[in-house]
Amino acid sequence: MKRYQRVSIVGVSALSVTLFFLLLTGLSRRGEGPLNRILTDVGVMMSDLENALTEYFRGSGRSSRLRWFDPLRHVDSLANPSRFLLGAYDSGLPESLGGITELESGLGMAFPLLHVYTAWGDRPEQQFPARILNAIWNLGSVPVITWEPWLTDFESVNHPHLPLRTERDRGGLAAIARGDYDFYIDAWATEAAKLQHPIFLRFAHEMNDPYRYPWGPHNNEAVDFLEAWRHVHERFQKAGAGNVLWVWSPHSAYPYYEYYPGDQYVDWVATGVLNYGNVAYWSKWWTFEEIFGKKYIDLAALRKPIMIAEFGSLSYGGDRVRWYEDAFHQFPSRYPAVKSLIFFHATGDATVTPQALDWTVTHDSVLTKTISRQISLW
Amino acid sequence: MKKPASVRNFPFDLWKRREAPNISFPQRLFLVALVSAGLLAVVRLADWWFRAEHVADIALFILLSVAFWYGIGRILVGWFNYLGIRKPVSCAAVPGMRVAIFTTSSPGEPLAMFEKTLAACKRIRYPHTTYLLDDTQDPRFRELAKRHGAVHLELVGLPGAKAGKINKALSMTTEDFILVLDPDHVPFPNFLDHVLGYFSDEQTGFVQVCQAYYNQHRSFVARGAAEQTYGFYGPILMGMYGHGSSLAIGANCTFRRTALESIGGHGIGLAEDMVTAIRLHAAGWKSVYVPIILSRGLVPEDLGSFFKQQLKWARGVFEILFSELPFLWPTLRWRQRVSYFLLGTYYLCGVTTFFYLLIPYAYLWFGFQPASMPFAEFVTMIGPVGLIGVTLYMAVQRWLCHSEMERGLHWRGLMLKIACWPVYLLATVLSITRTAIPYIPTAKEAMRGKFVRLTWPHLVVVLAYMTTLSIVLYQRIFIVPEEILVLSTEAVWGMVGFATMTIIFSLGVFYAGWKARDLPPIPAWDAVPDHFEADK
Repeated sequence: MKRYQRVSIVGVSALSVTLFFLLLTGLSRRGEGPLNRILTDVGVMMSDLENALTEYFRGSGRSSRLRWFDPLRHVDSLANPSRFLLGAYDSGLPESLGGITELESGLGMAFPLLHVYTAWGDRPEQQFPARILNAIWNLGSVPVITWEPWLTDFESVNHPHLPLRTERDRGGLAAIARGDYDFYIDAWATEAAKLQHPIFLRFAHEMNDPYRYPWGPHNNEAVDFLEAWRHVHERFQKAGAGNVLWVWSPHSAYPYYEYYPGDQYVDWVATGVLNYGNVAYWSKWWTFEEIFGKKYIDLAALRKPIMIAEFGSLSYGGDRVRWYEDAFHQFPSRYPAVKSLIFFHATGDATVTPQALDWTVTHDSVLTKTISRQISLW
Repeated sequence: MKKPASVRNFPFDLWKRREAPNISFPQRLFLVALVSAGLLAVVRLADWWFRAEHVADIALFILLSVAFWYGIGRILVGWFNYLGIRKPVSCAAVPGMRVAIFTTSSPGEPLAMFEKTLAACKRIRYPHTTYLLDDTQDPRFRELAKRHGAVHLELVGLPGAKAGKINKALSMTTEDFILVLDPDHVPFPNFLDHVLGYFSDEQTGFVQVCQAYYNQHRSFVARGAAEQTYGFYGPILMGMYGHGSSLAIGANCTFRRTALESIGGHGIGLAEDMVTAIRLHAAGWKSVYVPIILSRGLVPEDLGSFFKQQLKWARGVFEILFSELPFLWPTLRWRQRVSYFLLGTYYLCGVTTFFYLLIPYAYLWFGFQPASMPFAEFVTMIGPVGLIGVTLYMAVQRWLCHSEMERGLHWRGLMLKIACWPVYLLATVLSITRTAIPYIPTAKEAMRGKFVRLTWPHLVVVLAYMTTLSIVLYQRIFIVPEEILVLSTEAVWGMVGFATMTIIFSLGVFYAGWKARDLPPIPAWDAVPDHFEADK
């Protein structure tokens, strides 16, 4: 073989690899391609078909216990609910609903709301969770999504216009407001609009906690949060996603007034009430009243329905049964503006402590009986 | 008599010399570009495949990975092989070489077929002597040989079937070059003119030509079986020749007598032709692959004959892997080792197909799952590999020996290969247990009416599928708790879809078996003409 031939073989080979590499990375730039979307749609369609079949052949199961809720499953009624809406998050979600079923049978009820968490990013599980949302709807409930803007989960290769990962968190909310993340927001907005049934979206919760999440005050100005919130809201409106209920959810232990985006951008106001007991140096045993009571008046002043989006107590350093009993005792009349309470039913929660914490209540039958008795007295 | 439409509309003259073209440098560059891109796609696939989050069950995942990556590995070697495509420089035969043609007849083989073969041997222009190596003890064969000017050698009771007769005949003859011709193959008059020239290189031990067929249009099975061979006798063997790893088939092969003598005669056993070729290579002889169609023979027309042929080949090829290759390993060059190893493990596809077949049932019945990969991601990763694979497959079809007729997607061939898994699995088991199957001459005439006996593994698969489908449907409509149902739709129906794909192949087998029932009643060799066009 002549020299020019050898050289051209190497050259053509390198050129071909480079071009094909560019083509492939170019095609996979977006977190979710059209193929993925088609498959999701097909899956959702099949799930609907199965749901219709089972309903026809064996009657509706869980959704029949939630029949009272069905007339309320519209954006307008949910924006101003006439009934109290219990709900739960379970750490088995979104792969399994087993934990939810267990909790529901322990308490003898079916929850109208089911809560899932999704972080922003490129990975498949960070895309719009159409499957689980559809499943929740088919089971007779309405989904609540806590939508966490973890900006560092976007791959730099896929998004050359974004700054390096280490530089993304500082001023991240301003970048969202500028439209840097519209590729992701718009994908969600389009999918949400396609869904056609209501969903609660709890975006960038605890934005006022300077120690917790990257979207907190240590990286951002309050005004940037406002801009970001309004921008995201606007993108969803533009996509026709009027079926989204916006849940604004500050941490009640820190000032939050300057983070309120305004009445026309918020449908619900939420906060978390979690009693860690004496599990860590920074915590002590607080009753529900001690955590939430003082804040209630302030939150209620916003004149929006209130959601306890994360609710629960550990058993370290106090009487857990008593805690729940006190919390639920005549709850609606004590806190009439609170329209929803969502159990934080997680095992292995290591968000704020080195050891994994267990928030579940199902294995304690005295506790579950206490809770259901209190609820039945409302 | 009304002929089937496929015969009436058949536009190709099969009885002319056809040959693959040589490759130009720009064409080679094009193949280099495609293979390089394909390599990148495979690296990308591998980088994605071996991620911890994809492992559902580590043992099953390893099994799946071995099966899958063995398949991808074969594809890669195939691509690399295409880069070597080369046609030997044509070399005119010098006059005065002494040539013998050996063809063998055994009891039960149809006399009419030999009529055509011997007549065609007589028409071969280069001076030669034809020998009929006969153990039929049927006087009509002796008479036939005499009529066509062939020497009749009565060789009864020799061990080693065909090879035994060839070795005996070698000792009874003196010609320097021997063409061993399969009795169903009808040689063209110019056969030897295109072959003998290559022996002017003293190191050339044998010259292999393309194997082509004249009955592939007679049935679905015949067409599929022929399709399986087109690529092999075109770009694949040309590539191996170019890389210096020529793999020899041995059938319709012309040998140098001294070469055969140096390895103690023609090899014996289930894969006698291939064994002979490997031994010649191991003994240092060179070979030439000539991508020219100089004869046409028969390919199985019905399922029974096809399965029988495949069982024989698979068993023979495993024989090479287990009995021949380990001993000759040190004497082979590394490229020959790779070639012969890949050849020897080709029929493991029975095991891997069976494994793939079990996956959906293992999941649906017992919840076993080897891997958890988002289907869409798998498609985006395997897609480019498949796309490049198909593009290359089509691109190299210009080097098929009879490209205008043979080119295509060859889906019948692929379907028959996948559907043959019970046969290949049986061959694997027989080889591991070292159970001998008797020498079966490839059936020259169709065997009919043994539908169930041939297709029962596929009937079992279809039955298992129907049962599983009914149970899954029943369970999901009436039993499975709602909260499990809503989240398992895609996993379960995805697996059912996977099982459905394998069912399509089984249905294809039934179709092939069914179609073979209306084979033309006239024997295939009636189509062999008595006069051949003069060839320049």
